[in-house]
Order: sequence, then structure tokens, then C-alpha cells
Amino acid sequence: MRHIFTIARHDLQVFFADRANWFGLVLMPIMLTLIVGGAFGGGSGELRLRVDVVDQDGSPAAADLVAAIGRANPTLYFCPQQATADRFNCEIAVDKPLDVATAQERVRRGDTNALIVIPAGYGAALQTFQPLTIAYYSLADVTTGDIVAAALDAAIAQVNGAVVAAQVGGTVGDTFHRGATAANPSIFRDAADRQAFTQQVAARADALLQAQPLTVTYTIAQLRPQERPLVTTQGFGQSVPGMGSMFVMFTVLGMLPIINKERKQWTLQRLVTLPLRPAVILGGKVLALFTLGMIQFAIVFGVGVAIGTDFGSAPAAILLVMLAFTLCITALTIALATRIRSEDQANGLSFLLAMVLAPIGGAWWPFEIMPEVMQMIGRLSPVSWAMEGFRQVIFFGGGLAEVLPGVGVLLAAAAVFFIIGVRGFRYE
Amino acid sequence: MPDWMVEATGLVKTYQRRDGSTVAAVQGIDLHIRRGEIFSLLGPNGAGKTTTIAMISGLIAPTRGDAKIGGHSITREPLAAKRLMGVVPQEIALYLELSARQNLEFFGRLYGLSGRELGRRVDEVLDFIDLTERQRDRLDTFSGGMKRRVNIGVGLLHRPQMVYMDEPTVGIDPQNRRRILDTVKRLRDEYSLTILYTTHLMEEAQELSDQVAIVDQGRIIARGSQGELTQQVGEQDRLIFTVGQQKVEEALLRRIEQSAEGVTRALYDAPAVGDADGAATAGTITVFARRGRRALPGIILAINDASLEIGSVEVREPDLEAVFLHLTGRALRD
Repeated sequence: MRHIFTIARHDLQVFFADRANWFGLVLMPIMLTLIVGGAFGGGSGELRLRVDVVDQDGSPAAADLVAAIGRANPTLYFCPQQATADRFNCEIAVDKPLDVATAQERVRRGDTNALIVIPAGYGAALQTFQPLTIAYYSLADVTTGDIVAAALDAAIAQVNGAVVAAQVGGTVGDTFHRGATAANPSIFRDAADRQAFTQQVAARADALLQAQPLTVTYTIAQLRPQERPLVTTQGFGQSVPGMGSMFVMFTVLGMLPIINKERKQWTLQRLVTLPLRPAVILGGKVLALFTLGMIQFAIVFGVGVAIGTDFGSAPAAILLVMLAFTLCITALTIALATRIRSEDQANGLSFLLAMVLAPIGGAWWPFEIMPEVMQMIGRLSPVSWAMEGFRQVIFFGGGLAEVLPGVGVLLAAAAVFFIIGVRGFRYE
Repeated sequence: MPDWMVEATGLVKTYQRRDGSTVAAVQGIDLHIRRGEIFSLLGPNGAGKTTTIAMISGLIAPTRGDAKIGGHSITREPLAAKRLMGVVPQEIALYLELSARQNLEFFGRLYGLSGRELGRRVDEVLDFIDLTERQRDRLDTFSGGMKRRVNIGVGLLHRPQMVYMDEPTVGIDPQNRRRILDTVKRLRDEYSLTILYTTHLMEEAQELSDQVAIVDQGRIIARGSQGELTQQVGEQDRLIFTVGQQKVEEALLRRIEQSAEGVTRALYDAPAVGDADGAATAGTITVFARRGRRALPGIILAINDASLEIGSVEVREPDLEAVFLHLTGRALRD
């Protein structure tokens, strides 16, 4: 075991002796993390709860209802109504509209806090005072209160209040009509006139209800307990794990040419002529790669902490994902080293793999906003499983239990890669 | 019974080509090396010397056969065998990004040294290779000869009982080459190390070796002390005539063999474009003859009769080059 540490420490010493490596390990990741995080809105903005709204009506009245819910709780963030052009903040696929089934699945997965479905005919029903049902879906515990439902209730109370006022106004008008005389004719010329009157009453009532002096202010705490509700995706919450994962690949896969160089300059063969078991030599190389990957993660997440990014409340889960992902990429590197014949080939392959696996795995943008076909392909990338784990903790308040599926996939892949690597590793 | 440091029997190494056929790099080599002697493997490039060393040092597994180092089988007890040996590869197998001291300390730790003992051994080796002053400098600032010395130093750190040196003077200037050859002799004379030395340079093998094995095409074609080997050529001198780019007919060689006194064999080494500048090497006629100086007039006459112009004439006493030429019909540099 002592010799494994000796070899690993030595490999790190050689790596850090080359100043060019510092650029790829420190400067580049920090710059890209800040640039990409900033481009997606940074991380200093107010936290808001995501709520999906499927508006099947599309009428101004439906839009008014959404606005009323927002006024009832300004921390709510409606998707897709308030989605940015790239839909990053809502994490909705760019290639299709948000339908009820998709939104229900998002609620079930925890991608959004709640779903409100405004049915077709909502606007018309309001005008004719017909009863209508608005569907609401949520996984919130009804016994502890649901602030989205509360906001919806408040908005509906406002709409209903206006409707009731209008109906009362109409009824009062009708009373006047029944007592009409030739000298004092009805206040309504006809049925249409009555309809217009009741609508004016409703609008006025709605305006008065909006201007109620008593309101509740909602603020989402930055630090929440385990049952934290989903908040809008923040730029650095995405870019730090994304760029971290990508640069772990650049750094660890980037050692492929160095393994090949060791063969070429015969230092690897020299190790074989020492009184060491081959497993010790390979173990040292693996430990060096793994340590470099973890250093890379530490640098990028350190930057995230320094700029105040909220990484959730389960650091152990984050660490577990980092360990599993780095192990997987280390094993992949060893497996690829069995096939590499030249330094140029190693350079090209490591760069290509990092540049392909990172974006399709959701390192550059949220996985969910990619078209479905790309999402299916993206599952082949270890990055997607790591990002799934990171996002569970950072955005969805997840803990160890939530990251275990992704960690399991990464460890299984690592095992397969290690078997290939250990069996086929060439020392000469 | 002799005290063998190395006993290799029936070493064979074959490789499979992509087309499925096999190529034999080493075709059954036996080696017995006594403690405290310098044993040279002499042969042209590609003869199988490095493959033989790679098998004996445990880098590659033999296809057949085995080697014992100090009584330990390299295939069955590799760690015990490797503890007894130091390896100095042909390549500069060092980390050029690190200093001489850092390289030595790293390999020293892997040989099991630590603490003060490690520091003392590193100091000793740096002193032995005369690089104490430059120990903190990165190797990529060193000359080729200095790197070669560090390369040797790594193989000596753990005070091995024997050292393999695979063409340790390749690519360095004459001054550093001299220094390395002196170092090799010191290792035998002052430290009683057993040294297995490979080279394609006859002069090195002649200067250093107690025993020599001449290797060609994966086999040992002759072995023994220098005296024993040169006896195979007999008391024959070697007369070398340079004839430039002129064409030499087979008939001329036969005429030299038949007409000149004491001549046993005449060989022609055609000119070739050799170096990077495109300068052509001169063609040579090599003649083996007893009492070479007496045969000289007859040979010159025969060459003149063939209308060839002689550039220079050299008469050499029997040496290992002559042995190789005698046995294979080819020069060592071929």
C-alpha cells in the first residue's frame, strides 16, 4: 500500500511540475464556471418556487388568474409563462409545449412544486358565471400546509369575490327593474345592457380586491431543512457541477497521453523491473488519476462556495456523487489506455470524449431542456448520472437516498471499465 | 560448481503479427554469468539483445524457458529475483520534469528505502555519478551524458548484486562515453557487481568484457572470453580496402581468395547512402588472411587488375568484429 501512495504522489508531483497543467486545472475551469453560470443568470437572485401552469384556455381571464396567483405569493415562478427564451429557468424541453401529462410527471419527479390546469372555456365561464373546476396537482403534505395551494385559493377567492359582486349587482339591478314605472324606467335597456353592467361590477370588484390593504409577504429561506421545495434553477447551481464534471473529464482523461508517454520514455517499463507487483503500479496510477479528479472538483466547487452558490443541505450526498463520477472517469481512462497507441491518438480521444460526453450529459445546460431523443442518448454519458445526483441535492433538496441511483450506475460502469483496464493494461 | 549469478535456459520469445503469423525475437538462448564479471551481449541492432534482457529482468514473460537470478526464478519468484538486480535501460527512463534528486528518491522509495537510509544512498549515488552539484536541477536542463549517468544511478540505488545495462552509451559524445565505460569497470572492480552489458559496438565489448556472447537473429552464435572467440577466426588478420563507389564483381573476390598468399576469405561490403546529409559510405573489400602483411601485394595487384582504385588500406589484428564477420558474413553495423 505504501508503494501505491509513493507512485500516486510521484505522478501528482510530475503533473504539477508542468506549469501548463495549472492552466487546465485551475484557470480554465474557474473562468468557464463563472462565464457559463453568469450567462444563465448567476446565483445571486431571489429564490422562487417553480409552479407549472397548463393554460388550456388562453384567454385574458386565464392570464389574469395566473397574475392573481402571483400577486398572492410573489415567490412563485410560473412555467412556461415566465420561462426565459432558452427555457433554462423552467427546465422545459425546447422542442415541445408543456402538456398536462408532462407536467404531472414533473410534479411526480419533483421538477416542479405544483401543477395548475386552467381548463378550456375558463374565460367564457367567468363571463356567464358558470361553475368550472381548476385542477391542482401537488405532492405537498396537506397536513403541513401548501403555500402554492394557498396562493391559488387566494386568487380564486378574489375571482369568485368579483363574480359574486357582479351577480349581486345584477340582482340589485333586476330588483330595480321589477319596480319600474313609466316615470322611472328600468336601469337596464335590455339583457345585453345587464350583462355589460354585471361585468363592469365584476371588474371593479376585482380591482378593489386587488387593492386590498392586507397582504402576506412570502420569503423563501436560503437555508432550508431536508424537505426543501423546488426553487428556480440558478446559473451557478448548474454551472458549478456541470463545469466541474467536464473538467474532471478533461483532467483525468487528459492523463491518457501521459500514460502513453510513460510507455514511450520507458519509465513505465522501468517500474515493472522494480520489485513491485503489477497491481501496485496500476493502483498507484489509478490513485493519482482519482486524486487529480477530486482536486478538480474541489477547485470548481470551491469557487462556487466562494461566490455564495447554494449547494443544498446534503454535502455528503454531493461528495458521494463526486467520488462515484471521478472513479468512473478514472476507470474509463484506464480502460482506454489499453487501446491507445500514440500520444496524438490519446490527445484527440480525451478531448473528443470530454467535449461530447459533457454537453449530452447536461454539463452545459439542464438535461431536461434537451430534446427527448438527445436525453435518451445523453443517458449513455456518465455526466448525466452525476448531474442528476447534483441537481437532486442542489435544486430538489435531495439527500443520500436521492443520489444513490445515479451513484449506483456510475459505480457499475466503473467496475466494467476497471475490468477491461486491468485485464488489458500494457506495461511494455 | 560455478557460482552463477544468472542462469538462463532455453529462453524463447515469439510475437504474433496482425496477420496471425508469428515472429521469433529470441530463439532459445542459454546464458550463464558468474558473479563479479562483466558479460557482454554483442550483436547488431535487432539481434534480440534487448528482448533477452527484458525477459531476464522480468519486464516480459518468456514464451518458453526461464532465468534464475541469484537462484530465484524470474517467472516464479519475480520479486525476490528483482530485488537482486538493477536495470539500466537503453532509453532515458527518467522523469525529465523532476530534478536528479527527486528521480533518485522516487525510485529509491520503490526499492524499499526510506528516511535517512534513502537520503544517504541518494547522496552516495549522486557522488558516484558525479552529479552532486546539479542534484536540484531539472533533468530537462541536463546534457545527454548527464541524463545517462542518472539513468545508471537509478539502477544502483539499492546496492544490487547485478546490473543490466542495455546499450548505455547510445547517443552520447565520446567524453561522456569514456566516463560511462569507466563507471562500468569501477562497478565490477570496486563493488564486485555482476554486469550484463549489451552493445552493438565491438570496441566496448572488447574493453569491458570478461565474457562475450555474440547474438544474431535471436540466437547466440558464439560465446567465451575474447581470446576464445578470436581463436575461432584463427591467427588471421583482417585487411580492409576502401574502394569508394566503384562496383566490385564477385569474380574479383574469388580471384583474391585464389591468388593471394594466405587468404582464406574475401567479402565485399557495398557502399550505401547512410547519414542524414546523404553522404555515401565507401564500399569496402575485407580479406581474411594469415600473415596479412605478406598477402597485401597480391591483393593490391588483383584489385588493380580489376581497374579499381584503392582509397585506403587497413590491417587489423583478430578482434570481435572479425569474429562476427567470420561467423555471419556481415558487419556488426548491418
